[in-house]
Amino acid sequence: MKEFFHRKIERNAIGFVLAIVGVASIGGLVEIAPLFTIHETVEEAPDMRLYTPLELAGRNIYIREGCYACHSQMIRTLRDEVERYGPYSLAVESKYDHPMLWGSKRTGPDLARLGGKYSDAWHVAHLMNPRDVVPESVMPRYGWLKRNALRIDDLGEHLAAQRDVGVPYTDAMIENAVADARGQANPDGPEAGGVAERYGEATNVRAFDGNPGTLTEMDALVAYLQIVGQLTQAAHQETAAKEE
Amino acid sequence: MGIDHESVVAVSKSWGLFYLIAMAAGVLVYTLWPGNRKRFTRAKTSILDKNDRPGE
Amino acid sequence: MVTGLTVSERHMALFVLGALALAGLAMAVGGRGDPLAVHGYIVLAFSLGLGFVVLSALFAPEPPESRLSEYYDDPTRVGIILSLAWAVAGMFVGVWVAALLAWPELTFVDSAWASFGRLRPVHTSGVIFGFGGNALIATSFHVLQRTSRARLPDQFSPWFVLIGYNLFCLIAASGYLIGVTQSKEYAEPEWYADIWLVIVWVAYFVLYIRTLQRRKEPHIYVANWYYMAFILVVAVLHIVNNLAVPVTFGHAKSYSLFSGVQDAMTQWWYGHNAVAFFLTSGFLGMMYYYLPKRAGRPIFSYRLSIISFWGITFMYMWAGAHHLHYTALPQWVQTLGMTFSLVLLVPSWASAGNALATLNGAWHKVRDDATLRFMMVAAVFYGLSTFEGSFMAIRAVNSLSHYTDWTVGHVHAGALGWVAMITFGSLYALVPWMWKTERMYSPRLIELHFWLALAGTVVYVFAMWNSGIIQGLMWRTYNDSGTLAYSFIDSLVAMHPYYIARAFGGLLFLTGAVVCCVNVAMTIRMARHARKAEAGGDVPLYGQAGAAQAGE
Repeated sequence: MKEFFHRKIERNAIGFVLAIVGVASIGGLVEIAPLFTIHETVEEAPDMRLYTPLELAGRNIYIREGCYACHSQMIRTLRDEVERYGPYSLAVESKYDHPMLWGSKRTGPDLARLGGKYSDAWHVAHLMNPRDVVPESVMPRYGWLKRNALRIDDLGEHLAAQRDVGVPYTDAMIENAVADARGQANPDGPEAGGVAERYGEATNVRAFDGNPGTLTEMDALVAYLQIVGQLTQAAHQETAAKEE
Repeated sequence: MGIDHESVVAVSKSWGLFYLIAMAAGVLVYTLWPGNRKRFTRAKTSILDKNDRPGE
Repeated sequence: MVTGLTVSERHMALFVLGALALAGLAMAVGGRGDPLAVHGYIVLAFSLGLGFVVLSALFAPEPPESRLSEYYDDPTRVGIILSLAWAVAGMFVGVWVAALLAWPELTFVDSAWASFGRLRPVHTSGVIFGFGGNALIATSFHVLQRTSRARLPDQFSPWFVLIGYNLFCLIAASGYLIGVTQSKEYAEPEWYADIWLVIVWVAYFVLYIRTLQRRKEPHIYVANWYYMAFILVVAVLHIVNNLAVPVTFGHAKSYSLFSGVQDAMTQWWYGHNAVAFFLTSGFLGMMYYYLPKRAGRPIFSYRLSIISFWGITFMYMWAGAHHLHYTALPQWVQTLGMTFSLVLLVPSWASAGNALATLNGAWHKVRDDATLRFMMVAAVFYGLSTFEGSFMAIRAVNSLSHYTDWTVGHVHAGALGWVAMITFGSLYALVPWMWKTERMYSPRLIELHFWLALAGTVVYVFAMWNSGIIQGLMWRTYNDSGTLAYSFIDSLVAMHPYYIARAFGGLLFLTGAVVCCVNVAMTIRMARHARKAEAGGDVPLYGQAGAAQAGE
C-alpha cells in the first residue's frame, strides 16, 4: 500500500507539488498562526497617539532613504543596550508601524529612543553634513531634503490607506491632513491649533528645519525623528515599575 | 475572535511536534523502502548519460 | 532568436508585449507626479523595444520541425548572459557601498540616488535576484529538460518567464534609485512589481509542471525537487510578506498589511526562508546536477539527498525567529526558532557531505579542473556557513553577533562562498555545452577567477568576522566603575581598517566576475568562428548540434 502511494505521488508531478507545499507551509503555519492572535499578548498603552501627517511623511522619507539599513529601532532586553540607548522596546510601541522598522544592523546607533534627545537644529545640521557634528561619522549627507518641497497634497490618501490597514485615524484627521502638516511646521500660523486638538497637546509644533515659511522634506524627517519612541511612555513606565 | 492566543499556541506546540515525527517517519520509509532502490540507482546514473536529445 | 519561435508564438509575444505596453501607459498616466509614472515609462519603453525585435522577424518562415528533436536552449543561453551582466552590475554597486562605509565622501555628488541607503538595496537585489535568480532560471531550464528527457512544452513561456523576471529586477533596481521601496529587507519592491512577479512566477511554475508531466524518465531526479521547492515556497513567501494596501492606484507607495511584532515575524519568516529556498534550495538543485555531471561520477548517496531535501524543506520554515532574539517577540517563538536552527544543521551537512563524498576518488580532477574546484569549494563554504548560521542562532551567541558586521560576514560567506561559487562552477560547465564548443575559451582565466574569488571571499569574511566581534564586544564592555567603556563612535572608528579590507575583498571578487564575463564572451565568439569556418557561415544552430554534449 505504502509502495503504491509513493509511486503515485512520484509519477504525478502535481502530487509531488502538493507534498512540498504541505511540508513547507504547515511548518510555516504552525509558527505563524499564533501571531494572528498575538495582539492579545501585546501590552496596553492607552496613552499612545498616532503619527501626525507630517511625521508619517517623515517616516516615509526615512524608509525611502533606506535609513533602516544602518539604524535599528529595537532595543533588546540586554543590560548594555538598555544602558546605552534607554528602556528596551515593547511590542506595543510599534503597533501602528506599517511596516515595522526594527532593522537588522547597527552601522549607526539604535534610534528607538531618539525622539527628544537632540535639538531640531542639531538634526538639521547632522543631516546636512553628519561630519560637521560628529567628525568620525560615516553617514551620508542628505542635502536634498532641505531643497525638496514636501509633497502634501496626497497626505489625506496616505492616512486613509493607513486606516485601511488598521490604524485608527478619524475622519477629521484624514480631512485635515494637509492643513495639519502645514500647521505642525508653522507654530505661528493659523493651522497650528488644529494639530494639538487632533493629536494631543504634547505634539511637537515647531519650524523643524528652522524655516516656518516653507514645508520641506527636512521638516518632515526631523518631525519624525523627534517622535521616535515618544508615541507612548509605556516603556519608561515599565522600566520604572521594575526598578521599584 | 473565537480562538484565543493560548489555545493557538498550545495546538501549534503539540501538533507541530506530532507532525514533525510523522513527517520524518514518512520520509525515512520512502527512502529506505527496498523497492525504491532500483529507481534511485537508475536516477543517479542516468544523468551521466551523454545522449543530449529528448527521449522518444 | 525570434525566428526560432513559431509564427503563432510570435503573435502571442506581440500580444503580451502590447498588453504590457498598455499597462505601462496606464501607470505613466495614472501615476503623474509620482515615481509610479517613471516606472510606467520604463515598462512602456521596455515592451515597445522588445515589440520591435519581435516585429522585425514576424514574417520569417516557420522554424524547421527538426527543432523538436533538440532541447530548447535559447532562453538558457540568454539567461546566462543576463545573469553575468547582473553579477557585474550588482557586485560593482556592492564594492561602491562598501567603499562608502570606509570613505563616506566618495559619493562625489550630493544626489539622492547616489547615497548609501538607496544604493544598498540595488546591490542586494542586483546580486540575489539579478545574478542568482537569472542563474537559477537559466540552469533550471537546462536541468529540467535533461533530467526529464523532454523538450520544454512550448517556446513562448520560457521567454515570458525569463524576460518578465528581468523586467521585475529592472523595476526593483531602478525603483530604489528614485526612492521606491517597501523597506522590507530583500522584499523592497513595491506592490505593482510584486504583482508582476506573481504572474511571472505562476508561468514559471506551470512551465515546470508541464515539462515534468512530459518526462520520459519514471523518476523525477532530485535536482528538480530542489528547483520545485524553490519555485513553490518562494511564491508562498513572496505573496504573504508583500500583502499591502497601495495609497491609491496612482501611487507607488503602499502600506504593509502587518504592523509591529506581527510584521517583524512575517518579515523574518520571509527573510530567512528567502535564504533557504532562493539561496539554498535552488542552488542545491544546481549542485546535484552539475557537480556529478562535471565529476563524471554519480552522486554519492541518492537516498541521503532525499532525506536532506525533506529536512531542509520542513525545518527552514521554523527557523526565522532567530533573527529576533531578545526583541519584543514572545520568548517561545524565539526558542522554537533557535531549536530548529540547530536541528537544521543535520540536513545541511548531509548535503555538503554528500557533495564532497561524490568527489572522493576524483580528487585529481578537482586539482586539475578549476570548474570542479569551484563546486568543491562551494560545498565546503555551504557546510561552513550553515554551521555558522546554526551557531549564531543560539541566543547567547546572537546577543553578541546581532546588529554587527558578523551577520554581514556570515551572509557573505554564504553568498560569495556558496551561492556565487556554485553558480560560477555550474556556468563554466554549462557554457561550452550551450554554445557547442569543446571547452571554455581559456582554462587559465577560470583558474585566475577561482583564485580571485577565493581570495576575495576569505578577505571579506575575515574582515567582517573581526569587525563584527570587536564591535559586539566593544558595545558590551564595562570599565571598572561599572559604566560602558566605549561610546558608539569609538566602535565605529575601530571598524575603519576592516571596512577598507572588506571593500578590497569585494573588489577582488568583482574582478573575478569580470574575468568570467570576458571568458564567456570569448567562448561565444570562438563558437561563432568555429561554426562559420565549418559551414561557410549561414547555418542555424539547430542543424549544427552534435548529439553528444561537448566538453565530455
